[in-house]
Amino acid sequence: MRIGVYVCHCGLNIAGVLEPSSLTEFAKTLPDVEVARDLQFTCSDTGQETIKEDIVEHKLDSVVVAACSPRLHEPTFRRVISEAGLNPFMLEMANIREQCSWVHMDEPPQAQEKAKDLIRMAVAKAALLNPLQGETMPVSRGVLIVGGGVAGIQAALDLADSGLHVYLVERKPTIGGYMALLTDVFPTNDCSICVLAPKMTDVYNHPLITLMTYAEILNIEGSVGRFTVSGVKKARFVDEKLCKGCINECAGVCPVEVPDEYEFGLGKRKAIYMPIPQSVPLIACVDPEACIGCGLCSEACPVDAVKYDQRQEEFRFDVGAIIVATGWQSFDPARKEEYGYGRFRDVITGLQVERLLNAAGPTGGEVVRPSTGEVAKSVAFLQCVGSRDETVGNQYCSRVCCMYALKNAPLIKEKYPDAEVSIHYIDLRAGGEGYEEFYMRAQRLGVNFIRGRVSEVEKVDGHLRVNYEDTLLGGFRSKPYDLVVLSAGLEANKEADVIGNLLGLSKRPDRFFEIAHPKMRPVEAHIDGVFIAGCASGPKEIQVSIAQGEAAAAKSMRLLLRGELTLDPVVAMVDTEKCIGCKLCVETCPSKAISVDKTALVDEAACKGCGTCAAACPVDAIDMRLFSDEQILAQVRAATAVKGQYPFIVGFLCNWCSYAGADLAGTSRIQYPTNMRAIRVMCAGRVDPAFVIEALKGGADGVLISGCRLGECHYSKGNYQAYQRVQVLRGVLEKVGINPGRVKIVWCAASEGEILAKEVRTFVRELKEMGPVGTELRVLGVPEPPGGDR
Amino acid sequence: MTEKTTMATATAEGEVFREKVLALAGEVVLTCIQCGTCSASCPTAHMMDTPIRKLVKLVLEGEKEAALLSRSIWLCTSCLLCTVRCPRNIRPMAVVAALKSIYEDEGMKCKDSVFEGIFARQIRNYGRISEVLLSAEYMIRSPSSAVQIMSFGAELVPKGKIELGFEAAKGERIEGTEEMKRIFDLVGDEKRAEAEKAEAVGEAEEATK
Ligand SMILES: Cc1cc2nc3c(=O)[nH]c(=O)nc-3n(C[C@H](O)[C@H](O)[C@H](O)COP(=O)(O)OP(=O)(O)OC[C@H]3O[C@@H](n4cnc5c(N)ncnc54)[C@H](O)[C@@H]3O)c2cc1C
Ligand code: SF4
Repeated sequence: MRIGVYVCHCGLNIAGVLEPSSLTEFAKTLPDVEVARDLQFTCSDTGQETIKEDIVEHKLDSVVVAACSPRLHEPTFRRVISEAGLNPFMLEMANIREQCSWVHMDEPPQAQEKAKDLIRMAVAKAALLNPLQGETMPVSRGVLIVGGGVAGIQAALDLADSGLHVYLVERKPTIGGYMALLTDVFPTNDCSICVLAPKMTDVYNHPLITLMTYAEILNIEGSVGRFTVSGVKKARFVDEKLCKGCINECAGVCPVEVPDEYEFGLGKRKAIYMPIPQSVPLIACVDPEACIGCGLCSEACPVDAVKYDQRQEEFRFDVGAIIVATGWQSFDPARKEEYGYGRFRDVITGLQVERLLNAAGPTGGEVVRPSTGEVAKSVAFLQCVGSRDETVGNQYCSRVCCMYALKNAPLIKEKYPDAEVSIHYIDLRAGGEGYEEFYMRAQRLGVNFIRGRVSEVEKVDGHLRVNYEDTLLGGFRSKPYDLVVLSAGLEANKEADVIGNLLGLSKRPDRFFEIAHPKMRPVEAHIDGVFIAGCASGPKEIQVSIAQGEAAAAKSMRLLLRGELTLDPVVAMVDTEKCIGCKLCVETCPSKAISVDKTALVDEAACKGCGTCAAACPVDAIDMRLFSDEQILAQVRAATAVKGQYPFIVGFLCNWCSYAGADLAGTSRIQYPTNMRAIRVMCAGRVDPAFVIEALKGGADGVLISGCRLGECHYSKGNYQAYQRVQVLRGVLEKVGINPGRVKIVWCAASEGEILAKEVRTFVRELKEMGPVGTELRVLGVPEPPGGDR
Repeated sequence: MTEKTTMATATAEGEVFREKVLALAGEVVLTCIQCGTCSASCPTAHMMDTPIRKLVKLVLEGEKEAALLSRSIWLCTSCLLCTVRCPRNIRPMAVVAALKSIYEDEGMKCKDSVFEGIFARQIRNYGRISEVLLSAEYMIRSPSSAVQIMSFGAELVPKGKIELGFEAAKGERIEGTEEMKRIFDLVGDEKRAEAEKAEAVGEAEEATK
């Protein structure tokens, strides 16, 4: 291996504290180093040219740049060396600016020693680098969208308009989701179906959208770029090509009536039915549960479209990406027995009042008491039913119920100005553009606002009474109402569980699908190529559901429009000779990239390179292409080769948070002791106990592992796994007589340079109190520190 | 109650009080959203001077005096409806219980606490209540308030809710009173028992004077 080392002055940024020329002289003494130079500004054109010339002239195999953080200029230097004909992965950087000269400004001699160690470590790794090829893979240009609510519809239209082929699969006989059933919608009170129906028709007519309604997905295989989807289209018992959608002919003669699920039980439908007048596709459907097989509809149909012998049809297709837009389901308010839903007919839900207010609904738009059919003169809205309620296991706020009550109460007030309409609330949440104004409008219209959660709905002398404490005035009240509307919350849709299981999506404690990062990646799932839009990832209003549909579409386009995918070569690889098929890696992998068929198999397209599996494998059968065991162990050995300082710490910092945090300490010039030699790993979960033991064996007094804060891991749960491993390791150390405090694990976000600096300071102090490594063994009379081979 | 202007920050004593209640009733009390479900569920709410919800707020604000002097804490029947319904899984009844126990620890006394004391001691010693003995003792300890409830008691006798027989007056015991005592000791009632003993001795001395 022929290595070139370039030590940067970075003006005085580095040279003001360190002596680049003597570092260069030092580098020349290291094994495999063919040429070493110090350069004023390595990233400048002159610097870049020098490196390129050297690569050619000295036939270099790999390059070490000792300069700023790799998080800043690694891409630059990878490009530089590849321009000179080297594989871009034959580069290693020693971070002597952010993590050395900038943070040890008052201790130049110690900083110089540290810089030497950092360069020795980089050279040790550079000697073990391998050329890596980011393979390209052709991808399918199709996208599966599961769920035809407003989020799925929007995503489908955007994708198809961009030229990708969309398969929209909907469980129900029509698309539209809940939005198709609402009356006027906040915040502008436009008629819901009027704004949605045109989009539904566009979906139906788009040449690039294959719409499959009344369909069920049964299997999904493969990974990003090449999923294979299969399932069935259930039998409607109506020929799709023949049906004209006139519905009156067939439903008019059908003798069977059942409660209409699209009216939430308030109205009735026939056994042959059209879900809603604006159904897409506009095709009748026979409910096999209700049908008695009398044959009347078949006789009545003018085009002979009714087919009792229709079978379900199977389908199968390939896609490159999947958008999960499976929406929500209503909290079942009967679970809150004290509110009497299901016992008292005049206690109804928010969805039911949507239907009552709807001119096309079961009452033609009259808000009546179901018990009498008379218009309700007093109406109470009860908020937070099944939301913000630990007794039913739902901690979260459903986010839209305040707003829909603030919409429906005034709609009733406008229609019946004499009606008494009250909203019983705990907190009114009207955050959003135009929402507070919407609230004020309701106040002006005379809606009564009562602060206090209702404890109970009773029936006294045939009249509903709502019991509560007016918490602003104090004191118990009981108020009579004609109609009580429960603002039931939104829950994760159980009908989506199958999809979640097929794809291996994770769920939050609130049972909704979890997105890859709670802020930064709002529509990405943990699984590559899978996106989540709308209420599938938590309650949200129409506007946000649409925005997420659009975002998921954009993400899918970015992935598939080019027709091929360049895979990151920094992935896991399995040594099938060693693998014993224990499946531990399958459990650890956050990206579901590993499967086991006798031995483990890594799906390189799905692997994100965190390395948690490599650390977990009990027989060391998995290794990483970059950040391999061999490379990291070489860095550890190089770090502990001299140990010019006491206490001596080897650090493992995760790339995304802690290494970035350490860089930030540098840019903020936060000073901390020079005792640590940091090794960059992709994830704290990559840290194999063997690395730690190697460091202690090499004489390090302590090992610091730092990962993202809990709950913020770039790969979801790597830091938890790191924590577990460290706990186990500590137990082992304690057993053999080594102070477990020598191995420390901390959490530090990319924004927390101060925290990282503080942790190093504290650790140095703690280690001083413990004494050099092995002190505790000498006390015990054990001659050698343990460790040994794994 | 009239609202008065008070300092927004709790006093040191208020702080200690708040922590004591939290230790007894659980840190979860901090998550109260003042929704009023507890007060609206409480069967004795109409008799209370301070709604349970407000008691919780007083605790959180460190308003020791107002919280401990509220009669509401003695009106709680431990029916647990508040606790079953609280959307934050707080146990408002535990807050009330905490207030009662702090009240006694502070050596405070009122007719309700005296009554509870007698009640608890009878259970401890006999495993059951004898209405006759209870009333008699209450009469001695807190004559003015006992008189107030006498007419109510008189109403209950013909309905058979209060037994006046000789057996009852003797104070019938359950089997296993020793176990009963152990239960009381386990829940940490010795302190109250001792305090009462001391008190009884004091009273006796007073009487012999
Ligand atoms: C009473 C009430 C009033 C509301 N009023 C308003 C308002 O005025 N303004 C506003 O902005 N928001 C309002 N909302 C919120 C609004 O309903 C949601 O924002 C919207 O429905 C979210 O759309 P979605 O596409 O995410 O989900 P959904 O509408 O739930 O659509 C999901 C679709 O996926 C399908 N699906 C589920 N599982 C599968 C599966 N396994 N395979 C295939 N398909 C599947 C479902 O059948 C459904 O068609 C209201 C909500 C309620 C409860
Ligand atoms: S949106 Fe309003 S009603 Fe719905 S859960 Fe949140 S606070 Fe309660």
